[in-house]
Amino acid sequence: MSDNYSNDPMLDMFIFETVQLIEQLEQSIIEIERSNCYTEDSINEIFRVMHTIKSSSAMMHYENISLIAHTIEDLFYFLREEKPKKIDCLKLTDIVLESADFIKHETDKIVEGRKSDGDGSELIRRIKNYLSRLKADNSKENAEKGKSPSKNEDTDSISEDSSNQINLSDFLQQNYKAVIYFEEGCQMENVRAFLVINNLKEIAEDISYVPEDIIDNDGSIEIIKNNGFWISFKSDRSYKEIHEFISHNVVFLKEFELYETKSDGHQQLSTDNQNRKDLQDKEKIEEPQFVSTRQSIISVNVHKLDKLMDLVGELVISEAMVLQNPDLNGLVLDNFLKSARQLHKITGELQDAVMSIRMVSLSATFQRMNRIVRDMSKKLGKDIRLELIGEETEVDKNIIDHISDPLMHLIRNSVDHGIENSEVRKAKNKPEFGTITLEAKNSGGDVLIIIKDDGRGLNKESILSKARRNGLIKKPEQELTDKEVYSFIMLAGFSTKEEVSEYSGRGVGMDVVTKNIGAIGGTVSIDSVEGEGTAITLKMPLTLAIIDSMTIKTGKSFFSVPIISIRESFKAEDGDIIIDSEGNEMIMIRGQCYTAVRLYELYGIKTEIKNISDGVMLMVENDGKAICIFADEIIGEQEVVIKALPGYIRNLKKIRGLSGCTLLGDGNISLILDVGDLITSLEEGRMKI
Amino acid sequence: MKKVLIVDDAAFMRLTLKKILEKNGFEIAGEAENGDIGVKKYKELKPDVVTMDITMPIKDGVQALKEIRTFDPDARIVMISAVGQKPFIYEAVMSGAKSFIVKPFEEKHLVKVLTQVLEM
Repeated sequence: MSDNYSNDPMLDMFIFETVQLIEQLEQSIIEIERSNCYTEDSINEIFRVMHTIKSSSAMMHYENISLIAHTIEDLFYFLREEKPKKIDCLKLTDIVLESADFIKHETDKIVEGRKSDGDGSELIRRIKNYLSRLKADNSKENAEKGKSPSKNEDTDSISEDSSNQINLSDFLQQNYKAVIYFEEGCQMENVRAFLVINNLKEIAEDISYVPEDIIDNDGSIEIIKNNGFWISFKSDRSYKEIHEFISHNVVFLKEFELYETKSDGHQQLSTDNQNRKDLQDKEKIEEPQFVSTRQSIISVNVHKLDKLMDLVGELVISEAMVLQNPDLNGLVLDNFLKSARQLHKITGELQDAVMSIRMVSLSATFQRMNRIVRDMSKKLGKDIRLELIGEETEVDKNIIDHISDPLMHLIRNSVDHGIENSEVRKAKNKPEFGTITLEAKNSGGDVLIIIKDDGRGLNKESILSKARRNGLIKKPEQELTDKEVYSFIMLAGFSTKEEVSEYSGRGVGMDVVTKNIGAIGGTVSIDSVEGEGTAITLKMPLTLAIIDSMTIKTGKSFFSVPIISIRESFKAEDGDIIIDSEGNEMIMIRGQCYTAVRLYELYGIKTEIKNISDGVMLMVENDGKAICIFADEIIGEQEVVIKALPGYIRNLKKIRGLSGCTLLGDGNISLILDVGDLITSLEEGRMKI
Repeated sequence: MKKVLIVDDAAFMRLTLKKILEKNGFEIAGEAENGDIGVKKYKELKPDVVTMDITMPIKDGVQALKEIRTFDPDARIVMISAVGQKPFIYEAVMSGAKSFIVKPFEEKHLVKVLTQVLEM
């Protein structure tokens, strides 16, 4: 794109729209494959998608993308116009998907700020091959039926004799002659010439022109470019009027010459009428029946939403600062309180509204899985159907970004390891095709995503023996519940599948899933019945930006602990503390021993309260592991807006156990404890701050 | 300032057109994402000139052009076309499109076409 208007919003828009279109395209392809035929609507849609991408990418000067899109567009143009009977659907689908992948890959590059340098020529060659075979088949078929093949759009060849076809004597008989030259780069000179003729009909008749075949032959473009467009016509207007008419009504006019001759008597050239007939035939072509299902939406940069969310967070905090202002204590303020309630109501509603803007439905993420299942089952020779339930469920945009990788991994696992071959399935009296269900639903403030397959299920014995070998079992085997056994597969470095296939088992295991889901405050649990299938449930909060937390105090510092990780809080006695051989403090609760951590020691905070009995204990857990935290006192439960720790603190030193900070209603800063990280760092060895 | 109505299903294209036109002293009267809305907006906004995409869902540009011309025979409509859509441009021209421009186009060309069409 020329420099004048190549700036970021344009690129953003281009990428946004292209990615959306490609997703839409993939979706239609998957549906087509299911119904096993290309309907008129779907052909139209693919044509239109490719058409749009072609134009936009050409505007942005991504020629490689534009070329691919153009080639596919040509292919679908042919399909739409000729409606060939014999289509190799499978091949066609592969080609389209491959092109979609190419475009996706290139846009990814652009997003990452790299050059879009993918070479699509090999792919284009294949598409063209496919198209020419299709054309050959089609014309053969038509010929067999005794029908002549209809004209193709391909008019690359330049006809050599197009200028010779004119009958010169006819041409010379008109009373006016004009030679028109168009500006360079105006494109489609032949159509422009036609436009001139069309306009000229208002004031002239018996028009003939050279080159004659401007409609059917694109070779005429070159002739017009080199020799100009010659027109001869009859008109009763004066020379001046015609001169004015041409200079006014011809767009991209570079120069023209107009001559008046006095002769009369001429022959109407038949070209015109024929053209009209041609066009009338073509009028039938595009009668759109397809109804777009796109919603009327606007796209907003996520950063702006983040900013808005931030501001609303600040607003909530300032509101608390005003309403809970210590200066107000003891005053009778009826009117103030009335207005304050109103303010509180509105900020609450505003917060909900902003949150809902950030909510995105899971459908795009879910739909992407269709493609994975399709590609994999084809390669592995399995027959698998993917059922999507509750894809309209909405979650925060941030969460979506975090779950697509884990979801993909889980789906791959199910396809690769879960679902058996159809022979095995037949032998087991199961339906020949496997089913994977991907379900999303709301439950309280959480979203559940369930991935279920009807495959072979998990083998408890092999998990146990592997766990034994790796020394993962920490308690007597007979006490392990099924869930606990299954959860071994989520531990780092655990994989029961010895061999590595193309799709899964590349060393990135379930532990990555657990980690990713854990990073957004979610949990993973597994249910399975051997021989019948496995269900994996991901439980995640609806949003990340605002969390329910318990605020505790140590010395003059405040800490916020996410409610989701608190198991209980209690008062302990000094005597409950046990010191292990390494000098670490432990506490015994209901026969279980937990590590006890004094926050003031951990973070070097000055406090008066050092006796266990004077303060309070908070048992927090993550991933099934729990520790007890000792603090001075509990301040209370409140919703907090998470803010990142300032960069200079993060860059200075990696501080373990903190995920961010927040502002409390009274203006104090509270640090948000990252329980998972805290536990890990304790396991890695007593940390030193 | 001359008012332009942009009819195109691609948001990217609408943005591109809008930027170029605003920069060159046109006023954007409105935008429409398909031919159907385009016809309605034409009635409502009475723009001086329309840029009309050809391939659009629900109602294509040629169809919209024809409809607009039934109630406003003097409508100034410029088709925005891609290479390879020659038959549709012919049809549009027959149906009264004032001119057309081929994507990808250059800024100066677009401005020229619109300026000239407005002078017609």
